[in-house]
Amino acid sequence: MTTTSARSKITKPSDRQIRVERVFDASVDRVWRAFTDPKLVAEWWGRGNTLVIERMEVERGGHWRYVEHAPDGTHGFEGRYREVTPQERIVRTFEWDGMPGYVIVESTELEDIGNGRTRVVTTSLFHTTEERDGMLNSGMEGGLNQSYEALDRLLAKTR
Amino acid sequence: MVQYQRNLDATFAAVADSTRRGILERLGRREASITELAQTFEMTLTGMKKHVRLLEDAGLVRTAKIGRVRMCRLGPRRLADEAAWIGKYQKMLDARLDSLGEFLERTKGDDR
Repeated sequence: MTTTSARSKITKPSDRQIRVERVFDASVDRVWRAFTDPKLVAEWWGRGNTLVIERMEVERGGHWRYVEHAPDGTHGFEGRYREVTPQERIVRTFEWDGMPGYVIVESTELEDIGNGRTRVVTTSLFHTTEERDGMLNSGMEGGLNQSYEALDRLLAKTR
Repeated sequence: MVQYQRNLDATFAAVADSTRRGILERLGRREASITELAQTFEMTLTGMKKHVRLLEDAGLVRTAKIGRVRMCRLGPRRLADEAAWIGKYQKMLDARLDSLGEFLERTKGDDR
């Protein structure tokens, strides 16, 4: 499925993945800084709303937390950086305070396509039931269930 | 209305606890037995049963007995929430990229 918004090409590789592709008329270096320099992030990430960057440790395992002050209230977003490859790729977890415990893995890739332009591809992976079903189909769950059934029996005996 | 309020209270109470939020996150990945959850969160079966019951009362988790094992998966409310959240997230992401495009346009002179 492909949707085209004003400037993005949006595809859904699976029910739990959203891939958004967009070309910016700016160098990789500028785009990279826009994603990794807190002062610059504050300028655009809030979509016109005031954005407070409480934490932003751009390194593997680093914590980030942004608070957006929107007309409908205050929204906190946070997560951890999983991968930071300068000028190329950022992978981080993304969690909204409004959906606690619901984690998205967000990967942003930059590609120089010449003429000072950069392609940005964001792939977001959701933890949903589809992923669970995938595990069920792969047979891993069966093995795990058997192990846990055995454990349950053992625990019942030793209660 | 009263019923709705009760559901809302139950939902907030259910997600107010970090262990229960962890359980939802875990079940979002795949279903699990009470025993498995108890192990993952290093607590007793009795303790885990209490957490699961609260989540079940709020409609966030659904459980079913399969043989001797009680399996837990996300409940109807959580699944509806998920679908709405995915839609909302996508719109938000697109709006942020619009905003990034405007920012890069606005700061073009800064490109050395």
